[in-house]
Amino acid sequence: MKNSKIFFSLIAFLFSAFIVKAQKGENTFNISYSAAFPMGSFKNTVSSNSFRGFNASVLHGISDKVSVGLATGFQDFYQKYPRQLYKLSDGSDLSAVLTYSIQTIPVLAQVKYNFTPGGTVQPYAAIGAGANIVSYTQLYGEFGDKQAKIGFAAKPELGLQIPLGKGGAGFSIGAAYNIMPFKQDELKNLNNIGVEAGFIIPMRR
Amino acid sequence: MQRMFAWALTIIATVGVLGSCTKDPLKNLSEDESRIYITNRDSTVNFSSYKTYSIADSVLVIDNGRVVGKQSNPWDAQMINALQNAMNARGYVRVNRTQNPDLGLNVSRIFNTSTNLVNLSDYWNSYGGYYDPYYWGYGGYDYYYPPVYGYYQSTEAAFSVDLLDLKDASSAQTIKVIWNGLIRGEGIFNNSNVQSQAQALFDQSPYLKTNQ
Repeated sequence: MKNSKIFFSLIAFLFSAFIVKAQKGENTFNISYSAAFPMGSFKNTVSSNSFRGFNASVLHGISDKVSVGLATGFQDFYQKYPRQLYKLSDGSDLSAVLTYSIQTIPVLAQVKYNFTPGGTVQPYAAIGAGANIVSYTQLYGEFGDKQAKIGFAAKPELGLQIPLGKGGAGFSIGAAYNIMPFKQDELKNLNNIGVEAGFIIPMRR
Repeated sequence: MQRMFAWALTIIATVGVLGSCTKDPLKNLSEDESRIYITNRDSTVNFSSYKTYSIADSVLVIDNGRVVGKQSNPWDAQMINALQNAMNARGYVRVNRTQNPDLGLNVSRIFNTSTNLVNLSDYWNSYGGYYDPYYWGYGGYDYYYPPVYGYYQSTEAAFSVDLLDLKDASSAQTIKVIWNGLIRGEGIFNNSNVQSQAQALFDQSPYLKTNQ
C-alpha cells in the first residue's frame, strides 16, 4: 500500500514535469549490460550473483540537467541447491535437487539528474519507479511450475556519463539498488544491487 | 518512420539476444539431479511389529492410469532383488507368499504420456484395480490408501513401491498400504541406477525396520 502511494506520486510528478516543461530537448536511448547482486533476505534463497542482464531506457531532456522517460531491463537469477531431504506439508519426505530460476523485467518511469552537463565526466543520479514483471520457477528435480507475477519496483541509481564528442553519444556506468517486493514461498523480496555499463545513443528526428 | 523502425528492431534484437542468456534450469540438471524420491508412510503404523515379507515376482506396468501388464525384464529383476536386499538389511525376513507374510511389496512402473498435472491420489484411488488382492490371498478385498498425497507435474515415467499390511488384512478387511516410495525423473530405468535408487528410498525411511 505504502509502495503504491510512492509509485503513483512519482508517476504524477514525472508526468507533471512532462506537461509543464516538455519542450525541445534531446532524446537519448541508453542501453547497458548489467550484473546484479542479491541483497538481504533474497540472498538467503538466491545467493548466486547474476551476470545475465541488461537495462534500456529512452529519456527526454527537459533541461540541461533533467531528463525523464521510460526504463526497462532484464535480469536472470539462478540458484541450484544440492540434493537434500525436504519434509512436505502432507507429511511425505522428498529428496530432491532444488532449483530457483527468477527473471525480473521492471518497467519504470524514470527521472535522471545530470550534475555537470557539458563536463568531461558527468555524475548523475536517477530514480525510477513502476511495475516489475517477474517470472518465477521453483523446481524439485525437474518438477515444478513457472509463475508470472507483477509487482512494484523502484530503482535509485548513481553513476557517471562520459560523453564522446559533442554529438550527445557517450558511455555510462552506474550502480543501482533495485527494490523489488515479491512474496512467494520463502521469498519476501528480490532486492539486489545492480551494476551496469553501457552506451548513450542520441535519437535524432 | 524508418528511423523509428530501426530503433524498434534494435531494441527487439537486443532483448532477444540478452534474453536468450537466461540459464535454463532444466538444461542445467543432470539425469541424477532431475530425479525426485518421495516416500510416504502411515504415521500410525509401528513398522517394527512386522517381521516377514513377500515381494511380487514381477513388476506392474501402468500406462496412463491403466495396468497394461506385468513384466519381469532384467531391470525389474534387478530392482526386485535390490528391494529384497534393502528389506533384509532392515531385519525383515523374506518368505513365500503362501507362508502368511506380514508385509507384501508391490512394484510398479508408471508411464504417463501427458504432461498435465497428475494428482497422485488418482493413482491410489484406483489402486484396487492394479494388483489383484487375490495374489496376496485376499481375493475380494479392496486396497486402502491414506488419502491425498499431493501432486506433481508428470513426465514420461515413474517407479513406485508399495508396502502392504497383510498381517492385519483379515481383521481390517482391507489391504492397507502403509508405505510408498515413488521415483520420478530422468533415467529411472537405466540398469546402472537400480541399486542407488532402491537404496535412496530406504535411506530416507529410517523408521522402516524391525527387531528380530
